[in-house]
Amino acid sequence: MGIGDIWNLIAMQPMINTLIVLTNALFNNFGVAIIVLTIAVNGVMFPLTIKQVRASKAMQDLQPKIAELQKKYAKDKEKLAKEQMRLFKESGVSPAGCLLPLVIQMPIWIALFQSIMRVLAVIPENLVGLSGFLYSWPIVYSTLPLENHFLWLNLATGDIFLALLVGGTMWVQQKMVMTPSADPKQQSQSSMMLWMMPIMFAWLTMTFPSGLAIFWVTSNIFRIGMQYFIGGWGGLVKSGAKKPAGRDKKYKERIAQVEEFPSLGADIVVPSSTREEGSSDEESGGKRPDSGGGYTKSLRAARRQPRRGRSNRRKRG
Amino acid sequence: MRIRNNNAVVAKVSLLVVLLLVGLTVLGCYGTKTSPEGGSGGTVADGTLFLAPSVKAAGGGFSCTPAAVDGKLVALSAADGTRFWEVPLEGSRSSGGFGCSSTATPAAIYGSPAVAGDLVYVGGYNGKIYAINIASGAVRWVYPREGNLEPIIGGMVVAMDRVYFGCSDGKVYALDAGTGDKQWEVPLGDKIWATPAVSGETLYIGCFDKKLYALSAADGTERWEFVAEGAIVSTPLVYNDTVYIGSFDRNFYALDAASGHLKWQLPAEKWFWTKAVAYNGTIYAGCFDGKVYALGAENGQELAAIDLGSAVYSWPVLFDGRVIVATEEGEIYAIDAASNQGTLLSDIGEVVYAPLSAEGGVIYVYSQEQNLYALNADSGANLWNLTIK
Repeated sequence: MGIGDIWNLIAMQPMINTLIVLTNALFNNFGVAIIVLTIAVNGVMFPLTIKQVRASKAMQDLQPKIAELQKKYAKDKEKLAKEQMRLFKESGVSPAGCLLPLVIQMPIWIALFQSIMRVLAVIPENLVGLSGFLYSWPIVYSTLPLENHFLWLNLATGDIFLALLVGGTMWVQQKMVMTPSADPKQQSQSSMMLWMMPIMFAWLTMTFPSGLAIFWVTSNIFRIGMQYFIGGWGGLVKSGAKKPAGRDKKYKERIAQVEEFPSLGADIVVPSSTREEGSSDEESGGKRPDSGGGYTKSLRAARRQPRRGRSNRRKRG
Repeated sequence: MRIRNNNAVVAKVSLLVVLLLVGLTVLGCYGTKTSPEGGSGGTVADGTLFLAPSVKAAGGGFSCTPAAVDGKLVALSAADGTRFWEVPLEGSRSSGGFGCSSTATPAAIYGSPAVAGDLVYVGGYNGKIYAINIASGAVRWVYPREGNLEPIIGGMVVAMDRVYFGCSDGKVYALDAGTGDKQWEVPLGDKIWATPAVSGETLYIGCFDKKLYALSAADGTERWEFVAEGAIVSTPLVYNDTVYIGSFDRNFYALDAASGHLKWQLPAEKWFWTKAVAYNGTIYAGCFDGKVYALGAENGQELAAIDLGSAVYSWPVLFDGRVIVATEEGEIYAIDAASNQGTLLSDIGEVVYAPLSAEGGVIYVYSQEQNLYALNADSGANLWNLTIK
């Protein structure tokens, strides 16, 4: 059994058959089935997604300090790596925390993406290919081939309105997670991504079947909702920022403590701009990268020391 | 310095975006065809083999490659493959293309050409029917003259001086065979991909709406309909006043040709797509489960289930008391009608979807790799082969 067969067995076949059964259950409406399955898959992956979003946000929060370290140890790579690791450890941020959930989710997204493509099967060659993925459930056989019209859409061809919707929702989602950066290079990179990605995806949507566009729009809207739940409207509407959740607040405190006691953590001089950025992050809702656990040893030590300034910080309950 | 920094940022971001898009396209489109290719079986008449080769993009069909749209009909010598003529069949082009969805409608031909009188008929995915002079290759008429119908996947049948075919727009059409003028059209419940069959004055055709329809060949009036549990894309076989048809519900049905009443049915493991053939009181039905079922025509008794190892999509042919069948993987079997035993005739090692054809002891097989094989029907020896694009 090759890797392709294993992939088909554990990912493609379950996804394809679920999609067909859902279509049958939803009055043979393939468009609604795509929406429901996309929401279900997003829901199942919600804990992983939220973990990844929080880890990425925490990583962003640390960027000024990392930049500071890079500047300080520009000529000593070994020391730089050591100090970076120390910073990550003491602030409870794991670089793997950003990537691991993403890596776990990727196969599921690819399977869903490919399943929609295969189930659409609008030409004989694809319908013949689809037959190899079907379970022997009678419901699957009686449902195929699927009706590929949904609302005004032919799900097998591109649609300009959906393309704009994909671009628009992607822009909103990116804008929500975007945080202002002190580094002009990073800021310029973020701004470019903010526009480039939605434009490219909108263009791509035009030439992909609109069944896929429905998947993208649903995913984007789900993520916008999730983002709002985590950090309010974020970079989209500053004034409408939501109060950070308790867990996120605790995480913010942890970062702030590292900033406060540089001698116990990384050897960093926290610039005033970082403080400002930290405040703005607070507005957009800081994220906590992991699901729990206590403070690191050095932070526990720091908590025992008398406070210097920022006496209004909340105690960890 | 600032400019150089910005340029670096632009380059980095652009690269990331391009990589992401290419990755998505490759992963998303992997395993799915971007455009219909078609590829008809050959039809032999008076020593000439008519074939519509598949329509493939030059780059191998990767998503970035613009889809090929123009097809053709080729007339060859059935004896040695010498080309007599070819007629270009023009598809319609789209404005652009990247991704898995092509807005072009290629002139891909799936159904085998139908020959009647001095004309050969083909219908394409581009929604056009062509009537071409057998001797010269000149186009006699095209239907519709302006615009296009929805894709035509099935083949056509010529009877009672009419050309009959079903279309993806859910209608059955009858055209005057000589002029291409429309005689009648009848809307059914859903898309039609099946080739019709005409027996007496009745036309039988399957539909995506899970029904088999019996219509008057004269005016399209419905005589009866039979409801299966899955879509019907295979072509009915009419034999001894019985209509035999397979469905996507994995059943093979025998129906009374006059009333449409069910006589018997056989459950299989996968779809039936290909047309069945009948010989000496036995029906041979190929299935996607890799088997050819030999069934008693009267009572549906399963005489044998000959396992060929891979799906049977291509139409089989009868030759000298044997049923010649091609599997999807390119193995050509001869099933002896007396013993119902299958013997491997040849293994061309290429995917075969197109219907088989036979004449004068030669079997013609057209593969999805665009190769036409002429095989000796007795020994399976490769007499000649040609690449026809």
